[in-house]
Amino acid sequence: MKFKLDKKDFERFLKDLMEAYDLFAPVQLAEGVSVFRKIDQPEEVHLTQLVPQKSAKEVFFPQSEVMFRYETVEHREPILSEQRIERERVLLGARPCDIEAISILEKVFAGEDYTDVYFLEKRRKTTIVTLSCNHPLTTCFCSSTGGGPFRRDGSDLFLTDLGESYLVELLTEKGMAFSKNRFFREAGSKDFDLLKELEEKASKKAEASIPVEGIEKRLDLMVESPFWDRIHEKCIGCGVCTFLCPTCHCFDITDEAVNLKGQRVRNWDSCLFPIYSLETSGHNPRPTGRERTRQRLMHKFNYYPKNFDRVACVGCGRCILYCPVHFDIREALLYASSRRSKGQEGQSR
Amino acid sequence: MESETVTNWEPKILAFLCNWCSYAGADLAGTSRIQYPPNIRVIRVPCSGRINPLFILKALQGGMDGVLVSGCHPGDCHFLSGNYIGRRKSATLKRFLEYLGVEENRVQFSWVSAAEGVKFSQVIQEVTEDVKKLGPLRNFVKK
Amino acid sequence: MIQEKLREKAKELLSKKEVDLIIGFSEWTLPLRTTPVFIRTPEGTESLAWNSFCENNLATYLHKFGRFKVGIVVKGCDARSVVALSLEKRFPNHRPLLIGVPCQRMVDRKKVKKAVKGEILQAVEQGDLLVVKGEDFEVTLKRDDFLYSVCRSCTHRTPNQADFLIGDPVEEFPLDEAHPDVSEFEGKTPEERWGSFEKEISRCIRCYACREACPMCYCTECFVDSTRPKWIEKSLSPSDLAFYHIVRAYHQTGRCSGCGACERACPMDIRLTHLTQKLNQEVKDLYGFETGIQPEVPPPLSTFHPEDEQGFIK
Repeated sequence: MKFKLDKKDFERFLKDLMEAYDLFAPVQLAEGVSVFRKIDQPEEVHLTQLVPQKSAKEVFFPQSEVMFRYETVEHREPILSEQRIERERVLLGARPCDIEAISILEKVFAGEDYTDVYFLEKRRKTTIVTLSCNHPLTTCFCSSTGGGPFRRDGSDLFLTDLGESYLVELLTEKGMAFSKNRFFREAGSKDFDLLKELEEKASKKAEASIPVEGIEKRLDLMVESPFWDRIHEKCIGCGVCTFLCPTCHCFDITDEAVNLKGQRVRNWDSCLFPIYSLETSGHNPRPTGRERTRQRLMHKFNYYPKNFDRVACVGCGRCILYCPVHFDIREALLYASSRRSKGQEGQSR
Repeated sequence: MESETVTNWEPKILAFLCNWCSYAGADLAGTSRIQYPPNIRVIRVPCSGRINPLFILKALQGGMDGVLVSGCHPGDCHFLSGNYIGRRKSATLKRFLEYLGVEENRVQFSWVSAAEGVKFSQVIQEVTEDVKKLGPLRNFVKK
Repeated sequence: MIQEKLREKAKELLSKKEVDLIIGFSEWTLPLRTTPVFIRTPEGTESLAWNSFCENNLATYLHKFGRFKVGIVVKGCDARSVVALSLEKRFPNHRPLLIGVPCQRMVDRKKVKKAVKGEILQAVEQGDLLVVKGEDFEVTLKRDDFLYSVCRSCTHRTPNQADFLIGDPVEEFPLDEAHPDVSEFEGKTPEERWGSFEKEISRCIRCYACREACPMCYCTECFVDSTRPKWIEKSLSPSDLAFYHIVRAYHQTGRCSGCGACERACPMDIRLTHLTQKLNQEVKDLYGFETGIQPEVPPPLSTFHPEDEQGFIK
């Protein structure tokens, strides 16, 4: 089902939306810096930055989340309270790559062995309104990792910017709940033609260029490759790539307690921090940047694909755009894939 | 209720006292029965040069309304130069905190020798009055 | 051409085996940027680049390569970081060979991006001009309008203590007044200053890029990672963020070369350099010290003078 939403109605559309839902969308914190936040005023919504620094994963898996609070009162048992999501939510304005990443996280957080209530509760209660990418950046390589600038999987509603209006596609049952929206107008063949044109143009621009097919097998042969000796050299070991990555999902749980009161909090963690793998004995199984960089790439392109049949990268390009030393993951992938023909370094050592 | 809490409010002040001079000065004040405000909590340290600026920040973050660091007079340091080194740390930290908007008198420094029980009590009175005037620390404290 | 001379010098050093590796800059996949490179063969020096986008302070890599004889490409600020590290006895084996390039001052890529609409695909320097191209635009900008603010107020652009200087020393511009960003901040009331500081750092995601990009941050265990004692929580409370940023900056007292690597590394564009610039101003004012200028003068916080300022002590 397809409709048209005029941009002049957009703020009022959002206002309506906020009556029934908690709205999450990109907001600009400073010029050129945006993140996903809960929206208080419709005019905060800022859709022009193609890839906000922090991805939409934060809506489901916040950087810092209180799991429960406790307090001992008069020597009795602690009082526990769990964080519940009260209202239905809408995530608006995330791009197809970020939405694809949510399905990657879902495989981990809603796995067979373990279900993460914090993630799932938010996921269940969220309707996803995706915005397509008419102008992918040169750092985007979503088509290489199985996505695309107009990929609709995982979206309930799908918006495309037609200039004066948005074309709205209702894709799921959750999306159909919007079919009677008072701002939706009938779309005509002109609009569909424009949609097609934009989609073709964007898809062409974002053509697949990085071979990731079967990369897990090639990486299997590269565990001890000298490749890792070189590739990590410029990495300074900060957490930019992992924190901004829409699919990275490592966390650390700590108790923040003062006297008899406290809270258990989980915070994002990064495999690039030395402390991440530091053991109590003082031994660190990943003692240098070599092992840590390898871990980051292996998790995305070897361990995860082995478990879930796809790479844990959606090609959003954040790690390339925001890396302080300009590490380009695409070059690493190209290098890794070129190893196939040159031989089996893993075995030669 | 609100106004009552404000009028009854008493500042909490953490005092880092060097073992060799200021702590003994506090002792002298005590044994000489010299009165001073009960607002300070004392932590004895081996030397004022031992003060890591982290201590001061941690105290403020943890709910202290003011911090005092007190050591031996110049030339009297038990370790010869600990208080000189501490003096540089104090000077730069104090200026930096002021730059960030922390009020001038939240963090204070003094030289008090083992013979200066009276001075010790005066310093505590002054610091307590100063911090009282500023009111409770609102910024930076962990809520 | 500086780039050619730089390659020649690097090639010579590697050929004569005077160094095991050269740390320098190379062009890479994105416009307006370079990337650090680690070159071990004379042929490899062909990838060395020198332009207005060599923004990283490569001295931060010296900790990683302490076992090797390193030749490192340095700007004025980077050279001062090396001097400061040397004072802290960070080079017990081999003092790195400094290949100094008098700095034309670096271009702030974020400022350039803000000046155009659309993605920048190419950026070419032509003398004092910067030609920036995108899919449907081409604009010519004046390079000097887009410099990093720390570069704009730099007073030591020619690397001192360099073992080799590539090109001629450049004219230095001493600052008449305080650092402009610092004066601007100081113009506010204390309440406004704290508010502004807190608002700025509220964007922090604790990725520690500022720490890692800094050559002077080399503690084996950073205070934020310490669990015994635990100084700071890992969450994003305003208080903990302030704690981190105050201490990170303060730890640079008398050690910061003012290169601005911390601010450039920040993915959230947090203004950080005015903090360390303020501290630099303080140590200059109080102790007449400037980081990395005199290789024999000890860092100000590890020494003293009996007559040091103490008007603030009761």
